Amino acid sequence: MSPLEFFITFLKASLFSTGGFGNLPSLHQDLIASNLATDADFGQSIAVGQISPGPNGLWVIALGYFTYGFLGAILALFAIIIPALIVLIMAALYNRIAHLTAVEGIARGISLGVVGLFVIVVISLLSGPGADWRGLLFFGGAFALSLSKKINVVIILTLAALGGYLIYN
Amino acid sequence: MSQEKALEEANLNSASLNSRPGFWTILKIWFLIGGQSFGGGPSTIFLIRREFMSKRHWLTDEEYSRFWVLCQLTPGVNIIALSVLIGKKLNGVQGIIASLIGLLLPSTTITILLAATFSSVQNWPPIQAMLKGITPATAGFSALVAIQFSRPLLKQARQESWTSLIFSIGIILGCAILLGFFKIAVVYVLLVAAIISAIGFSLIWKTSKLKKEL
Repeated sequence: MSPLEFFITFLKASLFSTGGFGNLPSLHQDLIASNLATDADFGQSIAVGQISPGPNGLWVIALGYFTYGFLGAILALFAIIIPALIVLIMAALYNRIAHLTAVEGIARGISLGVVGLFVIVVISLLSGPGADWRGLLFFGGAFALSLSKKINVVIILTLAALGGYLIYN
Repeated sequence: MSQEKALEEANLNSASLNSRPGFWTILKIWFLIGGQSFGGGPSTIFLIRREFMSKRHWLTDEEYSRFWVLCQLTPGVNIIALSVLIGKKLNGVQGIIASLIGLLLPSTTITILLAATFSSVQNWPPIQAMLKGITPATAGFSALVAIQFSRPLLKQARQESWTSLIFSIGIILGCAILLGFFKIAVVYVLLVAAIISAIGFSLIWKTSKLKKEL
């Protein structure tokens, strides 16, 4: 994949998504189809994104790094900055589009769509190569612990790493 | 500023700036936000509100709410879009650039450093074993993100009407099926969701408005 194609893959994913993780399903589909990434790469990227500061959406910078090196990280960064600039157009048109139910409908539809796509990505992360039933324990554990909101993500990831070490090594 | 004048400003629903903060001031504030917002979105929002609203009063609640609505209509990461709007309000194009650099430079640098460290030890078998635990754990986070993301959408739909709720659930399931069973490209799935929702929600909202008027 050329740098331009790589950039367009990331840009497309962000343009057609909402929220910091909305680009995950599209990137998962494209990068796995082109053999550039594995499910483990996605797991690592989300983990790095959770540990580092800033908005959650920066996880794609880690994904860019894991799949395409330093250049990939920078391309991924620009791919999330450009869609954000569209907000200036939204602000300029605000008075005209605020009453348009169609615009609100589109935004709501994409958000709902992303939720549905996420279900599939989660299944894929759990059933990819090398995954087995014990992965479900990690899945359930991480889900339950982060649901409680009291336990820091870094602690959850450390526990997952420790558990992985004890079970699989 | 006299109290009267302050009241007048508040009525205009727009925080006025006594003097425009400069490029470096804006950069510095965002740099602190970007560098210490561990814990993702919620902590970043908390810091943004503290720095620009509670501490400096450069932004009113109304402005913040309006900005947030616009960010949700914008594709991609909401907080980056928010930093663009706040930057523009504080100092035009210069403000936008300062905000983006300030927010993204520290966190991007840390993200790349972490990723690089990780890459260098990745193939070591114990790390491989750890990863086998981490990947499903991140799937756990992702599932939670999806639930948290869907909750306000479904709640709002329920408040509108049962039709709106059923329609919303239909969109979620429909997209899951299109991707999961038919392996259709994500972008097309979302385009279909966008078009159907634009029409569907417009009709639903129109009928519920008519009912209210009757």
